[in-house]
Amino acid sequence: MTTTDQLVEEYLDQLEEELHDMPRARRRELVDEIAQHIADGGAQSEAELRTLLDRLGEPGEIADEARERFGMAPRQDAGYPWFETVALIPLVPGSFVPFGWIAGVVMLWMSRRWTRGDKLIGTFVVPGGLGFIAVALAFGEPLSAGLVALLVLPPIAAGIYLAWRLTKV
Amino acid sequence: LPCLCSRRLSDVDGMVASEGTIYPLLSRLRRDGLVESMWRESAEGPPRRYYHLTDAGRAALAGFAREWSRFRDAVDHFMEGEA
Repeated sequence: MTTTDQLVEEYLDQLEEELHDMPRARRRELVDEIAQHIADGGAQSEAELRTLLDRLGEPGEIADEARERFGMAPRQDAGYPWFETVALIPLVPGSFVPFGWIAGVVMLWMSRRWTRGDKLIGTFVVPGGLGFIAVALAFGEPLSAGLVALLVLPPIAAGIYLAWRLTKV
Repeated sequence: LPCLCSRRLSDVDGMVASEGTIYPLLSRLRRDGLVESMWRESAEGPPRRYYHLTDAGRAALAGFAREWSRFRDAVDHFMEGEA
C-alpha cells in the first residue's frame, strides 16, 4: 500500500470512528461521499493529497457538523480524557503488576479517542509494556545495557505517543 | 455537484472552514426534501450523485433571499449611521 492510500484510509477510519454514534445508514452515506470527494480530487502526490485533506477539514469537524444537522447530542467524550489517562497507567509502567498490561490494553481498545492505528501501536510496541523487565529482574537475569534500553524505551515512547495523540483528537 | 459547490464556497473568504462539512448539510437538505439527488454514470470512475433543488427547495431559497435582503438593508442602515 502506498503512503497516499494509507493517508486516505486513516482519514476515513477516523471519520468512521468519529461518527460511531450515528445511525449506520447515515454514517455509510457520509463516509461514501467523503471517499468519493477524495477520489474526485485526483491528488497525484502525497503533498496534493495532504492539501486536499486539509481543505476537507478534520474528521471531527465533519462529524460535529453532522451531529448538529441531525439534532444529535454533541460528543459525550469531549472534555478531559480521564478514561484514556487511567488506561495509560497500567499500559506502560503498571505492567509491573500482574495483569496490569492486559487491563491497559482492554481500556485502550474501549477508548473512542484513539484511532485504530494508535491502538495497534499501543498493543504491539513491546507487548507487555515494561513487564519483560519486571520478569527478568524477578528471575535475577543479568541484562546488558542495550537489552534494557530495547525493552524500556519502546513502551515509554509508545506511552508518550498515545498521550500526545490525546491532545490532537 | 457537491465537489464543485464546496470549491466555490471556499473560494469566498469566510464561507466554509472545511469543505467536508458540506456533506452533512446536503444530507440534511435531502432528508428535508429541499434537494433531490440522482445517481448518474460518469465517463471515468464510478457513478456519481448529483443534487438539484426541488420545488420546496426553490421556494425556501426564494423566501430566504427575501428575508436576507431585508435583514441586510436593516444592518446596513445602522452601520452607515455608525461610520
